[in-house]
Amino acid sequence: MSDPIAQLIFLIIKAILMPVLIVMIVAFVIFFERKFAGFFQGRVGPTYLGPWGSFQSFGDIFKLLSKEDLIPLKADKPVFRLAPYIIFIPAFLVMAVIPFGPVGGEPNLFGHRFDYVIANFDAGLVLFLALGAIAVYGVVLAGWSSNSKYSLLGGLRAGAQMISYELAMGFSVVGVMLMADSMNLVDVVNRQAGNFWHWFFIPQLVGGIIFFIGTLAELNRTPFDLAEAEQELVAGYLTEYSGMRWGIFMFAEYVNLLVISGIVSTLYFGGWRAPFTFLDFIPGPIWLFIKIAVMVFIYIWVRWTIFRYRYNQLMSTGWKVLLPLSIANLVVTAVVVTLVK
Amino acid sequence: MGLKDVVKKAAFVDILRGMSVTGTYFLVDKVTVEYPKEKLVTYPRFRGAHALLTHPETGDTKCVACMLCATVCPSQCIAIEGETLPDGRSRPKTFELDLARCIYCGFCEEVCPVAAIVMTNQYELSTFDKRDFLLTKETLIANAVNVHKEVLAHRPSVGVGANGGGEPTATPGSGAAPSAAGADGTAHADEES
Repeated sequence: MSDPIAQLIFLIIKAILMPVLIVMIVAFVIFFERKFAGFFQGRVGPTYLGPWGSFQSFGDIFKLLSKEDLIPLKADKPVFRLAPYIIFIPAFLVMAVIPFGPVGGEPNLFGHRFDYVIANFDAGLVLFLALGAIAVYGVVLAGWSSNSKYSLLGGLRAGAQMISYELAMGFSVVGVMLMADSMNLVDVVNRQAGNFWHWFFIPQLVGGIIFFIGTLAELNRTPFDLAEAEQELVAGYLTEYSGMRWGIFMFAEYVNLLVISGIVSTLYFGGWRAPFTFLDFIPGPIWLFIKIAVMVFIYIWVRWTIFRYRYNQLMSTGWKVLLPLSIANLVVTAVVVTLVK
Repeated sequence: MGLKDVVKKAAFVDILRGMSVTGTYFLVDKVTVEYPKEKLVTYPRFRGAHALLTHPETGDTKCVACMLCATVCPSQCIAIEGETLPDGRSRPKTFELDLARCIYCGFCEEVCPVAAIVMTNQYELSTFDKRDFLLTKETLIANAVNVHKEVLAHRPSVGVGANGGGEPTATPGSGAAPSAAGADGTAHADEES
């Protein structure tokens, strides 16, 4: 078997296995979100379905599938139907550029080289930012097409929020790009080889925090869930959605949570690399999984602790604090990187 | 905004403090009582569905059909028809109590001169049949299994049981109706006493 054909087969296997795996994990991420939400509030969370309540998500899915799928009479039907997928598909696509193990090097599987990444893509970081920007269109279109004032306000807020945060987020990522000398996530991880003090979260602490805050806004999670804002906008852009169409939105949100946790781990916490070199015998996917799990836990913790920022607070934080800070971080990083070279 | 505030904000002092609070709640014991599986112990003076106490020897009710409870009842949910036995004692021929009208004020228990009618800890009263709310003499006697143990402790000379001719099916909705309802629950009542 020639190498290109083997690579193609590996690629197909990876491209099928990865989304299936993510879907299975997401079901449990949703369960853990609910369980931990209970724990943070002194409750016990779901307990009935399965051991420790862990099959709760499957019960939810069956419930959603059995519900009536309502489309408002005056909704813009094609756009209304399209919107969930505009959120759903970018969430999955970002997965392709996250490396989950060593890439390149010696043949390691059946005499062929198995790369632990779906797409060894030179502009991986740009792809991530671009897909994140596309996903916001899903929210805006869902709000626009629903023909409801709450949905419209939610969509508008999502758009405004996106503009305020994507800039600061993009600038903070440029710091990592400069330090890694590449936009390819595989190279970013390789540049963080070694013990954990080689990871980028130490030199890029400010950028990392800005990026984390930006991802909170991108994920539409509290404290920046203005697009949903249950207390003000019923359910924001989700107001008119029901049944599994609503479920797809929720599902995409958690796929996004998982994928963005992976991006944060990759950019700032060494990706699939072990925190100490003597732990390298544990395979990379397991380390990445552990790091993603910790990040997801932090996201859940933040969500159930901090309450929603007011709209103008979000704007002033984004434009007056995070954007200048991220530009300053970029300038300092650029100067230091140039001097060191 | 002074320099101190800026430093505080930059170090996320307030947010970290909040997260430590939620983190503490994450670790401590949860307050949830998973109701059908575990039940709280009622307070000793909790006023649930009624019961009629009986003489331990005869098994007959202690009620003497004096009509005080029926008179004092604010919602007039008690209907008694008395009869006089050949030996001169009087007792209720029928004793009907409509739980759907009862407001659980406990006046009947307070006014009873012979301590025959008492309130129990039976609070699981939901039912599919409205007729179950009408307690008869037999069901009231059978319901004595739910009497607070504190009540029995002060009245050693009363019998508890369904040997007054009543069916063992007691109050509405109480398929199992264990007398020790909530014995395995968390001990809230203990804190009170």
